[in-house]
Amino acid sequence: MIESVLSLLILIPLLGSIIIGFGVIKKYIRSLALVFSGIQISLLIYLLTKFDLHASSFQFQESKNWIHLSLGSLGQFTAKYSLGVDGLSLPLIALTSLITLVALWNSTEIKEKFNAYYGLVLLLNASLMGCFLAKDMFLFYVFFEFMLLPMYFLIGIWGGPNRNYASLKFFIYTLLGSLFILIIMLGMSIAYIDPYETALLTGAIQEGQSFTIEGLLTIQKSLAAQEIPMSAIVHSFDMQALSDVNNCMPTSLFSPNSGWLLSGLSGREWGFWLLFVGFAIKLPLVPLHTWLPDAHVEAPTPISVLLAGILLKIGAYGWLRMAIPFFPKEAINNAQILAGLGALSIIYGAYNALAMKDIKKLVAYSSISHMGFVLLGIAAFNVEGWQGAIFQLISHGILSALLFLMAGVLYSRTGNRDIDSYSGLATKMPVFTLISGIAIFASLGLPGFSGFIGEFFSLMGAFTSPLLIPIYSILGALGILLGAGYLLWTFQKVFLGTYYTLKDQWIMNDLNSTETMSLYALGLSSIILGIFPNILFSISENFVLKLLSNIL
Amino acid sequence: MEINFQFIGLLLLPWISALLVGLFALKAKKYVATISISLSFIFTVLACYFIYSLSGQNLKIGYPWINMGHETYFASFWINSSAKLIALLVSIVSFLVQLFSKSYMEKEANLGRYYVYLHAFVGAMICLVFADQIYLFYGSWELVGALSYLLISFWHQKPEAIRAAKKAFLINRLADIALILGLVGLSSHFQTTYFSVMDPMALGIAPNIIGIAVFIGAMGKSAQFPFMSWLPDAMEGPTPASALIHAATMVAAGVFLGIRIFPFFGEPVHLFMAFIGTISLISAGILALFQNDIKKILAYSTISQLGLMWMGMGSDASMFHLWVHGIFKAGLFLSAGSIIHFVHHQNLNHMGGLRKQIPITCIAFFIFSAGMMGIPFTNGFYSKENIAGFLWTSAENSPFSTYYFMLLGALSVGMVLTSFYVSRLFYLIFLGDSREQNPRETPRNNGFQIVPIVVLAVLSLSVLVNLNPLHANESEFLRYFNLQSFHAPDVWLWITVSTWILGIILSYLTRHWIPKANVPFLSFFWPSMFQIIIFKSEMVRWIEVQVYDRFVNNLARVQVIIAHLIAWADRWIVDGILVGGASKASQLMGSSLSRWQSGKVQSYWILVFVTFGLFLLFTILQRG
Repeated sequence: MIESVLSLLILIPLLGSIIIGFGVIKKYIRSLALVFSGIQISLLIYLLTKFDLHASSFQFQESKNWIHLSLGSLGQFTAKYSLGVDGLSLPLIALTSLITLVALWNSTEIKEKFNAYYGLVLLLNASLMGCFLAKDMFLFYVFFEFMLLPMYFLIGIWGGPNRNYASLKFFIYTLLGSLFILIIMLGMSIAYIDPYETALLTGAIQEGQSFTIEGLLTIQKSLAAQEIPMSAIVHSFDMQALSDVNNCMPTSLFSPNSGWLLSGLSGREWGFWLLFVGFAIKLPLVPLHTWLPDAHVEAPTPISVLLAGILLKIGAYGWLRMAIPFFPKEAINNAQILAGLGALSIIYGAYNALAMKDIKKLVAYSSISHMGFVLLGIAAFNVEGWQGAIFQLISHGILSALLFLMAGVLYSRTGNRDIDSYSGLATKMPVFTLISGIAIFASLGLPGFSGFIGEFFSLMGAFTSPLLIPIYSILGALGILLGAGYLLWTFQKVFLGTYYTLKDQWIMNDLNSTETMSLYALGLSSIILGIFPNILFSISENFVLKLLSNIL
Repeated sequence: MEINFQFIGLLLLPWISALLVGLFALKAKKYVATISISLSFIFTVLACYFIYSLSGQNLKIGYPWINMGHETYFASFWINSSAKLIALLVSIVSFLVQLFSKSYMEKEANLGRYYVYLHAFVGAMICLVFADQIYLFYGSWELVGALSYLLISFWHQKPEAIRAAKKAFLINRLADIALILGLVGLSSHFQTTYFSVMDPMALGIAPNIIGIAVFIGAMGKSAQFPFMSWLPDAMEGPTPASALIHAATMVAAGVFLGIRIFPFFGEPVHLFMAFIGTISLISAGILALFQNDIKKILAYSTISQLGLMWMGMGSDASMFHLWVHGIFKAGLFLSAGSIIHFVHHQNLNHMGGLRKQIPITCIAFFIFSAGMMGIPFTNGFYSKENIAGFLWTSAENSPFSTYYFMLLGALSVGMVLTSFYVSRLFYLIFLGDSREQNPRETPRNNGFQIVPIVVLAVLSLSVLVNLNPLHANESEFLRYFNLQSFHAPDVWLWITVSTWILGIILSYLTRHWIPKANVPFLSFFWPSMFQIIIFKSEMVRWIEVQVYDRFVNNLARVQVIIAHLIAWADRWIVDGILVGGASKASQLMGSSLSRWQSGKVQSYWILVFVTFGLFLLFTILQRG
């Protein structure tokens, strides 16, 4: 039994990043980074074997006191270093370490400043892990903010010609989103109490004593009756405490009966929408998406892979972990709007992708389209929709990585990403054609690949949900048709037909062994997930069922 | 227990074969064809043995597949008589096609890829045929479409081939949206996702709108009106592959779906299906008359014959014709392949007199043509009579009997057309003198091509099914596969005979002239009556090519235009005016704070933490 395995998952890449980043070691940096990533993956495999599929709560929990402030009449604030993993975060951390490994593996195109590059990638990995593992919102926010820094530099230093514009745009967009989250986080922690800590402070229970459900109810009752003195109240950022509306102080803005209105929206509705928008920027949701194509086009291939493969997932993770559990009623009441936004993203992203000539931009817009399915599934508020949405997150992580690597293969050989510059590559690059064919058919939602399962269940959830009218899922299905259009079109233009490249001196070698390995691994995992989707469904099932039964 | 293992083996073997062939193609290129054919042979034997060992019983097998909350979806299979019959058809035809390909595709460089596709296609098709769970069915349905895409675009250097492949795939996908909506509707009506559990007795038949949605999906796959234009284009693929997917199996999947869901719907839906079939039967029959390309004629005749199956409305009559048609159409395609292999082109105008050079193919072709026309001593006679009998008996006890008689009338018109174009096809290929312009050296007679054709020809003969050439009702074959036979009244026999005679006479009179280039010449001799027919057929073709094709084309074009407009708006309005404007505005407004707009990330970074620190300071000071 390894102690505090979750902390290790964060610390190992952090350690790697420090060791590499200091620049003492000059050789074998890529291998060293791969070793750290490998250790992380083996820890993760250990975690997977010990993970209890039947438990619905957090597992491998760790909790340490971190910040404790006593603010007198305002009460006390506490932020804990508490980690935990459940059915939502486990697939995502698995995806994070897998995609990081793939990105590191394919970083051979990086030719300068190795130390800084690999250090920053590992740092990014550490902060992403922290995001997915944090149980405390403050801790989450710290990791969330911190993630910007390595990403900004990775695009800004190793990016393409227009990198400064792209990285700054990425930074400002995300900062805007995180400011929304910050506002709500602070507001909520003032408005909510932590029942356990409060009970400790008021002496209702003693240290080490178990906190029963009766104890919780007593505390909440006395809170509702405003019997607890302000100075004895402990505010925290614990997500579990924030998820229970009974922990809300009756006088506060976020109380359901506060009666506070601002432009027709109550405090809780403001809370929901601000959190929603904050995370929607990350997803990205139309119309908050314009940073994505620029960032992708300028970023080097492995960074695009990380960006599309993992970073986008934090948006949906934030909804499922925070926005919806914190404000369930508001979310359900607005299900139609959410589904509409999801369908808009699907169609809008697909149309944009259809018009793109740059392969990377095309894949970026197709990401927007595919992430729309996630929101559509979430808006269904039923098991199918949510399972489909979580599945789609993982599936898109794998497939977008595959598609960006595909674009990277072309770019690394010619420095050109225009679809029109190539034709008939199948004759010269049969292996590359095979794996690209798999990537493209998987992305357009062919059964047998993971893309189908995610999209299908999201759509079915939305179609059968009593909260939604069927038009959204029909629009989503049309999005799939458009997706088939632009992906097949790309496939045919680039790979089929007579051989042609824009410049004759371009040498189109088939894949080398480095590229082949990672591409096959990703393709294979997509096929395995597509045929045995229950691998993933069984992990996330208890999370979905528990959250749904809590909020419905 | 053992039978379950056999079934799993049957289900997985084509995929395993595909993998093995793919691996072999890398190492031992020479033996790819042999290995692939042997694997296919094993598969066929296993399929026959499996069906034999079931001895006429139905079987249901299910494995837990997806847990969705409190519901578990089983990957479940339903092996009933219709599924068995189609599985038998698929395995036999696929084996013969592989055998045929041995010599037909001999000089092809990427043989491995070709055989991999064939095996994978069979795997998807077998899964489709046996699937009981509707999503499993839908999944294999889509896979079949994708593999058809791959096979059509096999010669990926040919622009026509890839265009045809894309067209086929996208039209199928369009129709599939309706299919999946229909299937979800079906499952919510019957509160189950398994075909075998759906019970129209207890819950009543499903609403018509669901049925129409499902059948729109089936129309796409079966290339029925108005989705028919992809099939003739799909002839760009290798001919043996066309024999497998565009004659015997994939296009029949739509009919098979109709058979599966036949009991769940009421008469209006069945009539809808039959009318779509009628339109396809007649219009494709007319279009077949105006073709000079041997494969195109066969493609149109496939659409027309599928229309005939649709007129059977998914009853046992459709089922029987599906089997019969699968055999003789695969035979026709393989014979056509053999002829193309022999003369090196596909143009009918330059054939003729081939009876002397390839007599065996000629005899086989004659049997297949007779089957398509429905002449006694071939199975085609029974199956056509069955469809007519089905319509006739339905008409007798139905409130919609007028419609049924209209369908019967249309059927006889369709039969005239069938006899017309089939006998014309036969005449132009085999009879008369050779019109070859640059004759080539005759290739050797090839066993790998002859054997499959002869086997299919034997299977097309009626003696294997029944000894009585006129009625199939005592057939052991039908009884084994649990198919009901329908009896048409004697007057129908006279109608049938007159359609053959009429068709053959018409084709004799017009045999060389009918190609489109000769229309002005023809109208000179046949001023009034014939012009109407030509005008009608031209109109159908015009509708098909000008309106429907152009509509789809323009629809796609409109999508691209919209896409560019949206992308433009995205770039200049959303990103340019909204985002850029917001940043400009904030720059102007915050000119006094411009040092924060330095563009350095560090300063933004500090800004966030200073704000947060100030907040903390504020709260701490408040306490004091």
